[in-house]
Amino acid sequence: MKLVQWVTIIVSVGILTGINYLLEENINPYVIRVVVNCGIGMILAMSLNLVNGCAGQFSLGHAGFMGVGAYTSAAITTVLALSPFFKTDMGVGCAIVIGGLAAALAGYLVGLPSLRLKGDYLAIVTLGFGEIIRIIFLNIEEVGGARGLPGIPPKANFFWVYLWVVITFVALLRLLRSSYGRAILSVRENEIAAESMGINVARYKVVAFVISSFFAGIAGGLFAHFQSFIDPNSFVFNKSVEAVIMVVIGGMGSLSGAILGGIIVTVLPELLRIFEQYRMVIFPLILIVLMLVRPMGLLGHKEIWELFRKKASS
Amino acid sequence: MTALDQNLIGGDFKIDALSISFGGLKAVNQFSLHLKPMELQGLIGPNGAGKTTCFNLVTGVYQPDSGTMVLNGRSLVGLEPHEIAKAGIARTFQNIRLFGDLTVLENVMVSYHMNVDYGYFELFLRTPRYYRIEKEFRDKATELLKVMGLETRKEDKAKSLPYGDQRRLEIARALATHPKVLLLDEPAAGLNTQEKAALMGTIANIRNLFKTTILLIEHDMKLVMGICEKITVLDHGDIIAVGTPREIQDNPKVIEAYLGVG
Ligand SMILES: Nc1ncnc2c1ncn2[C@@H]1O[C@H](COP(=O)(O)OP(=O)(O)OP(=O)(O)O)[C@@H](O)[C@H]1O
Ligand SMILES: [Mg+2]
Repeated sequence: MKLVQWVTIIVSVGILTGINYLLEENINPYVIRVVVNCGIGMILAMSLNLVNGCAGQFSLGHAGFMGVGAYTSAAITTVLALSPFFKTDMGVGCAIVIGGLAAALAGYLVGLPSLRLKGDYLAIVTLGFGEIIRIIFLNIEEVGGARGLPGIPPKANFFWVYLWVVITFVALLRLLRSSYGRAILSVRENEIAAESMGINVARYKVVAFVISSFFAGIAGGLFAHFQSFIDPNSFVFNKSVEAVIMVVIGGMGSLSGAILGGIIVTVLPELLRIFEQYRMVIFPLILIVLMLVRPMGLLGHKEIWELFRKKASS
Repeated sequence: MTALDQNLIGGDFKIDALSISFGGLKAVNQFSLHLKPMELQGLIGPNGAGKTTCFNLVTGVYQPDSGTMVLNGRSLVGLEPHEIAKAGIARTFQNIRLFGDLTVLENVMVSYHMNVDYGYFELFLRTPRYYRIEKEFRDKATELLKVMGLETRKEDKAKSLPYGDQRRLEIARALATHPKVLLLDEPAAGLNTQEKAALMGTIANIRNLFKTTILLIEHDMKLVMGICEKITVLDHGDIIAVGTPREIQDNPKVIEAYLGVG
């Protein structure tokens, strides 16, 4: 890695630590909660964007993979209690990564057979898998079954969540700006042409799905260790729909769009609390209007900095 | 390796008795063709004759009911389309299939992916090898676009190109796979007379520049007459004539098929 990159890493860790300190000292817990949930939403949206936006597949079971990450990491830091190490910051960090890997494995097992399907069929099958995963957790008594799993060490604070936001963003951006990324995008653009140019379409659909599931699992692990309690209802179908909404309103295929989507879908319902019981009428109305005005999402296929560059040059 | 020096001699491609039916319709029946290294042959026939279906068979999009195809001694029957592309057969599409939202340069670079030799970790860490290979791909693609007269458009989205340039980009992208055999499906369709003539010139050049064997589908008989050594004529899925352009021109069966008599 170049010196610039090292400097960037050190500076961003410094900034995150600083904000983390300020938040924890001075800001009320409700705001912290919303800000952290935004971060988790961003990771979820960026990861789903790889499948739904970049590879052009329609997955509707993302909450399932988030659940795998959450339950795996939480099981490691609570019920399994392999060693006291898993109660420390570093230990929880490792558990969350293991949760991500477990989600990636689940993504591989689900993706391999189902990615042969297209469009609506794929959406239905992934929806089904998402529900199956949830029902499996519902029936494992060791992780609390329907009662849920309490007492998870609450180690995922602003710092850790936003560190993962940065990691997810950089990793996915680099993936997309590589030959592998072009292969994934070519699948979205035209499967037959991609195959004819030597791209193993089936493989790159699975690759996108596995990488996406990994980061969804990370989001799940962070969620578990932020809430310090999870139950199967945390990962219902609605959560998958929410992730899809984030990607769609941000702009399919745009990473910065996914970040924007993650923020909007998390913050908007909070801001709408002033409308009390009408909140859940107004929120969808805003989404509908947004889709009518900008059907391609806020940023379309573009990244936010590309929008400005375009304006500057023309 | 630059964009240009790829094969020394082009491919030797033997297609023997390929057949396929869709429901009751024999779309291609006992199709045989021998492309010798560096040959430029034409495949012509009226609408619905089965020309595109032949390409789809040869590139693995459809599996033949029977028949064999052998490229430089290697059988291609049963391979997936991406494996056939890697084996050295590239194609363009009659109904243009570009990666519309990618740039012109990226369209060509997709074809280099089969030669990529950095892994996922290297792209995440952006190692020197990542930079080197990306630059190599970029330079090769730029060089190729120059040959096809598209280098000024290389940062534009493929879908924003005028029609004629899109056809050229289809060819550039196919050439980037380093084909031993290049299959062109009506590359001049939709162009005006001038553009057509220019494109036929380019195609004749490509063969020498890229040392590749070419099979060219064309609807318009006159166009291929000038540049092909040998022409195969399809009608209703059957080969009705094979020969030099002159022989084909005077063949009564061909005239009949094209005039739609009988
Ligand atoms: N996937 C398919 N399913 C059913 N029928 C098909 C399929 N593909 C091609 N056909 C039929 O096979 C026949 C040959 O079609 P093909 O596209 O190969 O013709 P062509 O020679 O390329 O014609 P054109 O000059 O119009 O491009 C046509 O009757 C077509 O309708
Ligand atoms: Mg055709």
